[in-house]
Order: sequence, then structure tokens, then C-alpha cells
Amino acid sequence: MSPLAEFWEARDIWRDPLLASVMAGALLGFLGVYVVLRRTVFVSAALTQLSTLGLIVALLVEERLGVEHEHAGVQLLVALAFSVGGALLLGTAGIGRRLPGETGVGLAYVLAGALVVLGANRLLHVAHDFNSMVFGNAVAVPLGDLLVLAAATLACAAIHTIWQKELVFVSFDRETAEAMGLRAPLWNGILYFTIGLAIPVSARALGALPAFAFLTIPAAAALLLVGRLRPAFALATALGALAAAGGYVLSWRWQIPTGATMVTLAGVLVLPGAVAAWLRR
Amino acid sequence: MTAPLVRLAGVSIGYGGRPLLSGIDLAIGPGDLLAVVGPNGGGKTTLLRTLLGVLPPVAGRREQATPLRVGYVPQRDHVDALWPLTALDVVLMGRIRLAGPGRRLGAEDGERAGAALARVGLADLAGQPFRTLSGGQRQRTLIARALAAEPELLALDEPTSGMDPAAELSAMDLLRELQRGGLAVVMVSHRLEVVANFARTLAFADQERKLWRTGPLDEMLTPAGLSALYGREVRVREEQGRRFVYPADGPGGGA
Repeated sequence: MSPLAEFWEARDIWRDPLLASVMAGALLGFLGVYVVLRRTVFVSAALTQLSTLGLIVALLVEERLGVEHEHAGVQLLVALAFSVGGALLLGTAGIGRRLPGETGVGLAYVLAGALVVLGANRLLHVAHDFNSMVFGNAVAVPLGDLLVLAAATLACAAIHTIWQKELVFVSFDRETAEAMGLRAPLWNGILYFTIGLAIPVSARALGALPAFAFLTIPAAAALLLVGRLRPAFALATALGALAAAGGYVLSWRWQIPTGATMVTLAGVLVLPGAVAAWLRR
Repeated sequence: MTAPLVRLAGVSIGYGGRPLLSGIDLAIGPGDLLAVVGPNGGGKTTLLRTLLGVLPPVAGRREQATPLRVGYVPQRDHVDALWPLTALDVVLMGRIRLAGPGRRLGAEDGERAGAALARVGLADLAGQPFRTLSGGQRQRTLIARALAAEPELLALDEPTSGMDPAAELSAMDLLRELQRGGLAVVMVSHRLEVVANFARTLAFADQERKLWRTGPLDEMLTPAGLSALYGREVRVREEQGRRFVYPADGPGGGA
């Protein structure tokens, strides 16, 4: 049997994970345009750490309470609370006038990272594959996770379709938007809510580090290739989906780690833009 | 007498409850052209933000005609040129408040934005990426965006920074023309010579010296007043109907 036929035969196994990867890649690719243009790449790194921390906290509490069966929904809710809460805090509030805003982001990143390691160290249950959680291994995605991801993707798509002009204005020039009567904290809050929502639901399929990578790499590739905002959003969405799908298929074919393959493929997709940018110099 | 569009009564401006400048009484009405001058860090931008309602007063009262359409021109450096937007895209942002949340901008918005660009002399550059425009062209694009909002009050923070003298003159001519058409204009500027020849009312703001004064241009633009504001001797000379302001100990000071 040819590799392609073999792959097709196994479609009941890969269909849901592949679908989840494509949705997550597209969603994060789109949002990544805001992340890159607002120069908040480090905020998205901190949020992926906070999301993982939320998951670890949920697992620890379940263990300590002696819950026999894991509740994926509860775990996701706690991860969402950490991610959305962190997004609203880091994205819309400063830490006073004595320190620059990125200091708070850095603190959140390193502290959440340290607590993830400490929390994972205290987990007794051997079933928790820490590497898969962080680096991604989208071998199996439960139907519930897939539906939650689809709902989150639809919600983000609706919000960004209806209010794109407000979100772009506030992101591009907050001061003027506010002076001209837009409620900048509200629009910033909505934008960061969608980012905070997208990270944990995507990380369930891709892993935390690939989720962070997809918030940066497809957008960077798109912004290097096109010079207009709308095409950049469309291209970043498509590249995110392509890298996720392609990475999944290649990892299946070559039996290599899924998350790392997706990220590497996304990195390869930056090359055309990088070459084009170099030629334009 | 026309009711003011916006008024500050006994206001203290500042951040986090700490006043920078106190005792500010100011009313801006249709056709006013107020220039706020003062040293760096003197509180000029804070005053502007308070006037527009972006920053709450630390004390006192701010009143405005409701709803007030505002056009705002920020300092050019505050706008990130990284974004892949054309000049027209930027100007269209001025229409967002008028369109309302969630409503798409239509053909009329495009026409108004194009007209605003034409008014600042940039009609040919509508499709040009904002980031490739010169400093002066970017500044004029930001002025066009403010005009596209069909404002009753136009607020500008260092509007002529980065412009060459010809562009600066035409920008100030435009502001005066708008003011004569009934638009209220408030601008913050370092360029004393510019405001000396265009403003009708002048305000001095310096939080370090706790100085706040406002009045008609001719009363305010005196060597004594300016010297008190800047802490060094400043002279004012008028030649062929044009005012020149310069430090006494600088070039031309001995003249």
C-alpha cells in the first residue's frame, strides 16, 4: 500500500486532530497579526505560560481532591481563566509609572514558567505527559475539545469581522481613538479577550509552545510578503492553517513530534517573505 | 453669545490624583483658535488630554456640549509606522466614530476621506503606504484623518513638527481657514513663532513653575510674559506684519 493510501485508510484516526490543528493554526495565525503589529509577542509568550499553569493547577487540584476521572472541561475552564485573566491584565493594564509595561509581562512569563515546572513536578499521576502538554502532540483530540475549539474560532471570527475597524484603530493609534471618542480600554479588552480565549483552546490541540509559535510566525511571514493589512490578515490565517495541516501530515508520515514539525514548517514559510524583503532592500 | 463646546472650571490636571497644574479655567467655543505653549514636560499634552475628556481632572469640573465631535492629531511619533496601511486607510479611521460600532464604512466615507486628503494636498498619495511617506506628509495625513471626522473641535499636539517651512505655513493657513469657518482649534506647540502668527488666544503652561495663564495673543505675547515662562530673556520683534520670537542670548539676540 502506498503511503498516501495508508494515510487515507487511517482517516478516522487523524481527521479530528487534523481539523483541530487547522482551526487552531488559522485562528492563531489571524490573531498573530495584531500580536506582531502591536509589538506584543512577549505578551503572547506569557499567556501561553499562564494557560499551561492553569492546566497544571487544575490537574493538581483534581489529584489532591482525589477525583478519579479527569474533567477535561474543568481543566480547560481553569486554563481559560488564567489565560483570559492574564490577557486582560497584561494587555490593558500597566504596573504603574515606575516600571515599563514589559517588566510586568516578563514577570508573568518567568513566574508562570517556574510555577509550571514546580507544579508538574508535584503531579503524581503518570498519565500526564508534560512534554505533550508543552510541546504538542496532536495524536488524539477528543470531540469535546474539537467542538470547544470550533466554538471559540467562530466567536473570535465573529468579533473580528464585526468590530475589525475599531480593533485596528485602537491597536494602531490608541491615543487618537480615545480622543475621538472610542472606548479604548473596552476595545483593547475585547481584543485581548479573544487572544486569551484562543490560546488555551488551541494549546489543547497543538501544545503550548506551538500555540505561541503560531501567534508569531504566520503573521511575520504574511507581513513580510504583503504590504496591506487585509491581505496580511488573510495570508496569515492561510499560512497558519497550512503550517498546522502540513506539519501534522509530515509528522504522521515520518513519525516525528507533531508540534515541533508544525513549528518548523511554519518557520520554512517565513523564507519566501524574508527573501522578498531582502530583495526589496 | 455662543455656548462653549467644552469648558474647564477650576480644574487641576495630573495623573493618579497628583496635580501638575491647578486653577485652570478655560472655555473653548466655535471659531476659537487657542495655542498652548510651554517648556517640555510643562503639562501641555496633559492639559489637551484633560480638555478632550481622555484624562479625568484631578480636581474641578469639565463640561462639554453633548455629543462633541472631536478631531485629534497626535504627536507624529506616537503613531506606529510599522502598520501596513495606506494614507487613505489612516484617514478612513477618522470616520469610524461617525459610522458607529460594528457598521461598515461606505462609499460616502471613502469620498469624505479622499476630500480630507485633498484638503491637505495629499490627494495623489491616497494609495501610498503610510510608512513610506515623509515626516511632513505623515503629519498632514493625520490632520486629514482629524478633518475626516467632521469635527466641531480640532485638537492638535505639535501639528507642524517634522514639516518643512512651506508645509508648515500651508498647514497653519488651513487651520486658520477652518477656524474662520467656525471650527474650534486647540493646538499644543513648541513653535512659538508659528503660534505667534496664527493663534488668537494663547495659554502658558508650566507645571514646574506652577504657571497657568491664558489671554488674547497680543496681551500674552510680551517679552516679560515669555521670559517668565521660559526662565530666560525672550524678545519679540515684528517685521512686515510678521512676529519673530527669539531668546535674547541666542543668535540674533543682540540685534
